[in-house]
Amino acid sequence: MDLLSSPEQALKLTRRRFFGRSAFGLGTAALASLLGRDLSAAPTLDSTENGGLPGLPHHAPKAKRVIYLFQSGGPAQMDLFDYKPLLEKYQNQDLPDSIRGGQRLTGMTAAQTRFPVAASHFKFQQHGQSGAWVSELLPHTAKIVDKIAVLRSMHTEPINHDPAITFLQTGHQLAGRPSMGSWLAYGLGSENHNLPAFVVMTSYGKTKGQPLYSRLWGSGFLPTRYAGVKFRSGKDPVLYLNNPEGFDQDDRRGFLDDLSELNRMRYEEMADPEIETRIAQYEMAYRMQSSVPELTDFSSEPEETFQLYGEDSRKPGTYAANCLLARRLSERGVRFIQLFHRGWDTHAGVPKRLPEQCQDTDQASAALVLDLERRGLLDDTLVVWGGEFGRTVYCQGTLTAETYGRDHHPRCFTMWAAGGGLKPGLVYGETDEYSYNVVKDPLNVHDLHATLLHCLGIDHRQLTYKFQGRNFRLTDVHGELVNAILA
Amino acid sequence: MLRSLCALGLLAALAASAQEVRFNRDVRPILSDKCFACHGPDAGNRSTPLRFDSREGAFVDLLSGGKAIVPGDPAQSKLIERVSSEDPVRRMPPSYKGHAKLSEREIATLTRWIEQGAEWEGHWAFQRVERPTVPPNGEGWARDPIDRFVARRLDREDMRPTKEADRATWARRATLDLTGLPPTPAEVDAFVADESADAYEKVVDRLLASPRYGERMAFRWLEAARYADTNGYQNDQERDMWRWRDWVIEAYNKNLPFDEFTVWQIAGDLLPNATLEQRIASGFNRNHRGNGEAGIVPEEYHVEYVVDRVEATSMVWMGLTMGCARCHDHKYDPLTQKEFYQLFAYFNQVPDRGRYFKYGNTPPFVQAPTAEQAEKLAALDARIEKTEATLQGLEGDVARGLQAWQPVQPWSFDESLLFATFGEGPRKFEGKDFADLGEEGGYSFYDRLSIGVRVRPDEIQTAGLVAKSSAKGDLFGGKGWGFYLDEGRPRFRMGNGLDDSTDVRAVKPLPVGAWSHLTFTYDGSRLTRGMKIYVDGRPVELEVVEDHSNNEITLPKTPLRAGVGPEMTDLFRGELEDLRLYDRDLSADEAAVLAVEEGTPALAALAAAERSEAAGRKLRWAYLSDEASGPAGEAWRELRRLRLARQEMTDGFPTVMVMSDAAGRQTHLLKRGAYDAPGEAVEPGVPAVLPPLPAGGPNNRLGLAEWLVSRDNPLTARVTVNRFWQMLFGQGIVETVEDFGSQGSWPTHPELLDWLAAEFMESGWDTKALLKRIVLSATYRQGSQLTPDKLEKDPQNKLLSRGPRVRLPAEAVRDQALAVAGLLSERVGGPSVKPYQPAGLWTELSNWEEYEHDKGGDLYRRSLYTFWKRTIAPPSMVAFDAAPRETCVVRETRTNTPLQALGLMNDVTYVEAARKLGERMLTEGGSDAEARLDYGFRLATAREPGQAELAVLKRGLQRYQQRYAVHPADAEKLLSQGDSPRSEAIEPAEQAAYAAVASLILNLDEAITKE
Repeated sequence: MDLLSSPEQALKLTRRRFFGRSAFGLGTAALASLLGRDLSAAPTLDSTENGGLPGLPHHAPKAKRVIYLFQSGGPAQMDLFDYKPLLEKYQNQDLPDSIRGGQRLTGMTAAQTRFPVAASHFKFQQHGQSGAWVSELLPHTAKIVDKIAVLRSMHTEPINHDPAITFLQTGHQLAGRPSMGSWLAYGLGSENHNLPAFVVMTSYGKTKGQPLYSRLWGSGFLPTRYAGVKFRSGKDPVLYLNNPEGFDQDDRRGFLDDLSELNRMRYEEMADPEIETRIAQYEMAYRMQSSVPELTDFSSEPEETFQLYGEDSRKPGTYAANCLLARRLSERGVRFIQLFHRGWDTHAGVPKRLPEQCQDTDQASAALVLDLERRGLLDDTLVVWGGEFGRTVYCQGTLTAETYGRDHHPRCFTMWAAGGGLKPGLVYGETDEYSYNVVKDPLNVHDLHATLLHCLGIDHRQLTYKFQGRNFRLTDVHGELVNAILA
Repeated sequence: MLRSLCALGLLAALAASAQEVRFNRDVRPILSDKCFACHGPDAGNRSTPLRFDSREGAFVDLLSGGKAIVPGDPAQSKLIERVSSEDPVRRMPPSYKGHAKLSEREIATLTRWIEQGAEWEGHWAFQRVERPTVPPNGEGWARDPIDRFVARRLDREDMRPTKEADRATWARRATLDLTGLPPTPAEVDAFVADESADAYEKVVDRLLASPRYGERMAFRWLEAARYADTNGYQNDQERDMWRWRDWVIEAYNKNLPFDEFTVWQIAGDLLPNATLEQRIASGFNRNHRGNGEAGIVPEEYHVEYVVDRVEATSMVWMGLTMGCARCHDHKYDPLTQKEFYQLFAYFNQVPDRGRYFKYGNTPPFVQAPTAEQAEKLAALDARIEKTEATLQGLEGDVARGLQAWQPVQPWSFDESLLFATFGEGPRKFEGKDFADLGEEGGYSFYDRLSIGVRVRPDEIQTAGLVAKSSAKGDLFGGKGWGFYLDEGRPRFRMGNGLDDSTDVRAVKPLPVGAWSHLTFTYDGSRLTRGMKIYVDGRPVELEVVEDHSNNEITLPKTPLRAGVGPEMTDLFRGELEDLRLYDRDLSADEAAVLAVEEGTPALAALAAAERSEAAGRKLRWAYLSDEASGPAGEAWRELRRLRLARQEMTDGFPTVMVMSDAAGRQTHLLKRGAYDAPGEAVEPGVPAVLPPLPAGGPNNRLGLAEWLVSRDNPLTARVTVNRFWQMLFGQGIVETVEDFGSQGSWPTHPELLDWLAAEFMESGWDTKALLKRIVLSATYRQGSQLTPDKLEKDPQNKLLSRGPRVRLPAEAVRDQALAVAGLLSERVGGPSVKPYQPAGLWTELSNWEEYEHDKGGDLYRRSLYTFWKRTIAPPSMVAFDAAPRETCVVRETRTNTPLQALGLMNDVTYVEAARKLGERMLTEGGSDAEARLDYGFRLATAREPGQAELAVLKRGLQRYQQRYAVHPADAEKLLSQGDSPRSEAIEPAEQAAYAAVASLILNLDEAITKE
């Protein structure tokens, strides 16, 4: 057919040329849509090739991606990393007021008549060159202490789960701000054209523990496309990924060809670039339909992988399987991978429940670091491990020889981080002899965020988004770079 | 990004429009964005007198000499020198604070403004709305004053409006906009064929009269109101606010004037003789989240709720980001921190608690029967009244019968009796043992309950009389419930832990060594005010030990026990007799009767004057219950039955949380916004930059509400019409619908906005009339085709050079699919429903039972009725940009993502809808493939497919027909999706082929787009 047979067609052709020049071609649109910058609305002006912001990264990044292993509920620091030998001496004595220092308590223990110190039930040893103390509950983590930075002086403000976990995730205690992963998706875009930039996985072991909420990986006031995409175990790793039964991938290809053709006809009529974007998004969906199952299929992994991550890693949906999947995602260039493991909220029965939690997570967490390292990925991947706060040294409920409970404690907790740009073998910060207050090198949540962003090549003050008339950022108006933990 | 593009468009437009710089449009946004942070309204951040948020501040003599702005002389203006300085130390805004420098264009704008005389204007949105003169109707394009404003702007930009859309396109656009559903082909045909002059108007009137209209208007209002079916925060358990949601729908449908709509929602509870509807409406500001997490500090969250009310109210009615002034003076707008707390004071009087109930509604709330329920109740009340009158008329018979009655059996009060023991005589307890009473006593927090017992304590003691509790060590700890003596004083507690119980105690101890009768009643409200203790039939004064229940009571396996103590060695000493448990809360009269020890034979033997009132009542009740066999007895028994039935009925009524001003709190400014850092005391008041409250009105929420809708308020009408504009055109005249402050966008058509606002107010805030005017305007009737020229000059259609072309809202995407499939249920209102949702979503994240989707019609209700769990919002709604309902959201956003494509192709909702649409095509569409495809296409798009489009559809259909003919099992599988039955009359391969091609139609960009 002669395209120029009529003036009308000639006009359309011109129009198409115009769009071809100003908006990206289809392929590029699909690429950016992933994460997806809205190309139709804003041609070339403020997006880079991979959908990130122009001018980003601000400086040469050490890390290109993050795997954040969120231990939801608040792991007990003095039972895992923050070794306090004197506690045995203080066992069952009341916590001195001078230590508590007027600290507000949760309503669950505020009315307790006593605050007896509960020493850890678990044995500690020093490990590696760094000599970091690690509890017997984490034998695998103990073996990698020279590869990680143990941050013992984290502290936060909230004393309850919702505000505390929201604070860690978004830099603000109340709902409504974007999560760290969506900030990165927004700022840095994606390195993979067939997968989302921000992927989330959740798991729990014997205890379900505190609930999670989808806003923890939400995009807040950023466009929803920057929200984390939850990967799930089972038939549909991404919601609605699978074609309906009786309709296979060949059918889908034919379907999409028809659909594109029809949409393109409409585009000829309406000339709305949004239609082109829609066509590209359907193509992207189609590619996800094949790339995601390939990703979640572990059958190509050698036996040795499962030995490294532990037997649980064979079972989809476990923390260990999620760690392995995290490695596979990082290999494919996914920007921010976040795992949430529930059940660390040990208000009672620490001696029974904490070993269960550690059993479910220790080996796979350490395996992930080792696995990334031997694949050369640890250099440009940040791995972060930690919860939303710590736990009290005093016992919640009745202290007996056999058992104790611990309430929420924001004044100090331990996290660890490894890889891209961080100092390996570092033990940073100190708490007092009760593991109650930070006494050296305090590290707050905003500082942590600022420092992690720095590793990713981002000046935390410069990654902003204007909302309700104000420029917001992950660190709000706070955050100091902590050079001491950088390599 | 949209924003940056829009800025570009405006600047380009600016450059084109003869270089005239206007302060509010062009200059203030730069000053606000780049300078206000340190030279703006926040006193805490200003280190010099120079401030650009006021004329005086901008023209002060600088400490360093000279002036920032010298009108007409940019070279002498320090502002220009400093923003363009190459020296990083001199350059403003300072790079060492991480601020970006001004763009060349911004510097040029400032320079031109100064050249042109540096004219200063007050912020436009804070000026009273004056009705602007309507421009002349140039070329006759305009149908309405709206169009003349639009045409004038287009002229200025040298642009032309787009040709009017064809009738079918307009009909689909208007129907989707006003009802959230597509028009039927019949509706389109009738309109296209209607040659009368008011054909368009008739369509609009029909749409506005449809119950679907109120539902559609509720879409965005629910988001603004952060409406949800759960409490939010960590545990996120269920609440009931759907009666408020139904009120919204009804208010829109009745076209309640927007000023009343406002007053009722802000302060309906404070209106004189507030009706139930008005109180329900006030639930707007109880829709915020409520934290029921164990261990929180209640005061901290109480503050968050009040802040949320201030933020939502300010954003929805005033377009102000008031929340910015919570911790410090506003950085950009003339709003001080103190003014934030003055607004806070209006919303701080709600007697709610910081820790919300984990489950259900938290007081204050009201029973809110639906119209149908209220009718049933009225009928029952009429029967009760009638029966009472009957009994009254028979009093003579009763008196005579009583006189003659010689009872021989003792009578006891045993309606609703669950369990009784120790009736044969006192049971002695010597502090060594307790009595196991078996498996009775399985009460929850929600059950009405009464316990009566006669007790004779040996000494002042702390011990349990009767309890079902896991307490160990601390008698008043543990989980469960119990009736106790606490140092001799009767005490009742239901609880789960230290900070989680409902617990009251009598002020005075019981006498020692003597018999007393005790009755405890509880009304299932989870509140101590629903608990009463009677001693010898008289209510006694109580003190609240704890009024903070949280979890549902978890009853221990421990059996019900009498005489328990804190330790097995320290049990009750004394006697108990006649212990009774009732499964409802006895009335005061009943408690008094229960306390009468003498049996009816003994009472009958006494002269009437020697009987106490309660004793007389006991005898009478006994007579009417057991003895009177005539009409009086029948009436009595009927009355008892009816009263129980009434209670059962009202217990089943929905409740809704409402506002109330009963708390009597003093408001303080909170330093840094922190709940535990109160500063100076503040009184309620409105920001000084806005007009004062109307004289003579109350200075409370009601006064505030009336102030919002007063003619002098510059914001409410502008903000509201702008939101309606956004609904119809995809974006507001002020793009930042949530922010009319100095950081907000400049209106694209300021005079139009003001004209609409004036018209809206002066029409009596008539929402339907306003919407009707807009959808009938020539502006709205334009076609939505783009041209290269328009894409270049007006990519976002801010100048309105064409009709809106935007993707449907999330709710309409699904509702439309259900409608064209013939599945949609049109039932209005009621409790929220559970349509399909992928398995496992709830159990993966929460501790809830797995989501179970509804059956039958409730699967196909409109999306605004979908159960909204805040922390795990319905995935198909969120994927299409519905707001998450955590906080107030008024801005519409639209993204275009692969997850949307996956949902539309594979979500069972759409697979089933495609199957049913395919069925309709086969059964209603005609006899050949072309007619059927044409019908399906029309159902979804309101137009006929072109020949080329039809060819693609046909090709697809044939491919599927061949495929499913060869693979009938696949056809069966495809057709088995979804609960609705499939038509057995149609051959499966054919049906599957049509299902597949119907899915193609539902996935068209055009199908999910308003054109």
